[in-house]
Amino acid sequence: MLDRGSRRFGTGLSFVTFGVGGTLLSVTLFPFLRLISPDRMIAQRRINSAMRRVMGLFIWFMRSLGLLTYELHGLERLARPGQLIVANHPTLIDVVFLVWLTPDAGCVVKRALWRNPALRWPVIWAGYIPNTEGAQLVQDCARVLKGGRSLLVFPEGTRSVPGKPLALKRGAAQVALASGADVLPVTIVCDVPFLTKGSHWYRVPARRPHFTITVGQPIPAGRYMGENQPNSIVARHLTTQLAAHFSRGIESVLRASAGVLVTNPPEAHSASL
Amino acid sequence: MAPAFQQLESMRSEQEIFGQVRRVLIDLFELPPEKVVLDANLYTDLDIDSLDAIDLILELKQITGRKVQPEQFRHVRTVGDVVVAVRDLMQDETAA
Repeated sequence: MLDRGSRRFGTGLSFVTFGVGGTLLSVTLFPFLRLISPDRMIAQRRINSAMRRVMGLFIWFMRSLGLLTYELHGLERLARPGQLIVANHPTLIDVVFLVWLTPDAGCVVKRALWRNPALRWPVIWAGYIPNTEGAQLVQDCARVLKGGRSLLVFPEGTRSVPGKPLALKRGAAQVALASGADVLPVTIVCDVPFLTKGSHWYRVPARRPHFTITVGQPIPAGRYMGENQPNSIVARHLTTQLAAHFSRGIESVLRASAGVLVTNPPEAHSASL
Repeated sequence: MAPAFQQLESMRSEQEIFGQVRRVLIDLFELPPEKVVLDANLYTDLDIDSLDAIDLILELKQITGRKVQPEQFRHVRTVGDVVVAVRDLMQDETAA
């Protein structure tokens, strides 16, 4: 396994590759795909499938450099269209994983991208939605789902704060209510703090990080829409349910990996540093 | 009407409005009653978000029986602010 210094270098290299590669593709491949497509929908499909490949390539790149490992569970459930896919958000590269793994989905991403001269057009062509706030965002999201396309949302709104309980905003639940879509929870666990909120990319962990991504069972719309309650209450219940689902999932993965560490004391020691 | 009496009257109605607003907040957002006090901040203390605020305004429309413009609630931060906003709405109504 690579030592910490090499992984720090590799992580830096990955970031530069992602930044430079992403910018280059944004002024070459993506505009090209837009140009050769007769209409917006065909362009959207092509650009999405190109983005998936690029994201997959990037994960492959990081794995090949020995920067991370991963395991994936229940991926087949991502394939059904028109689902509201909600995931917790521990690291910077969660969206890279999920865009790669989801066949065709819109995605709510940082609104700052709309001010980036290179990335602005690709995110528009891909049919992504800026994370503005309030009723407008909920309507924009619901429109995607009603159109039959899946939508990927991180209900925390930003990356999790390490060591704190998950703080989910209720916007995702409001989108579910506004669209009547089934909700598919995806739990992302990284066994050591890596690319977390507020930490610098070069603070690589002592041990190579391992991602466990688990696609849960869908929560059918009928289960929450049936409640004869105002939206404000149903949104609260659904959000609480999702938070509990993520917390349980994270805990059980971490407990299992802690069990592995106990049998391997030197690693357990270095991980606690 | 004597000023003292007028004051008493408006205090009483404010108390009534607070009771109604409190009821709405508890029912709409499943809040523990003891947290719904006049100086509680809707957003930070009571965890009400911008979408909840729209639901709240719709519900207050029912109570006051008046058209409520969201702008009238732009500066509302606390439960007390809601009570004042509703009282102003109802006074407009009596004046009209």
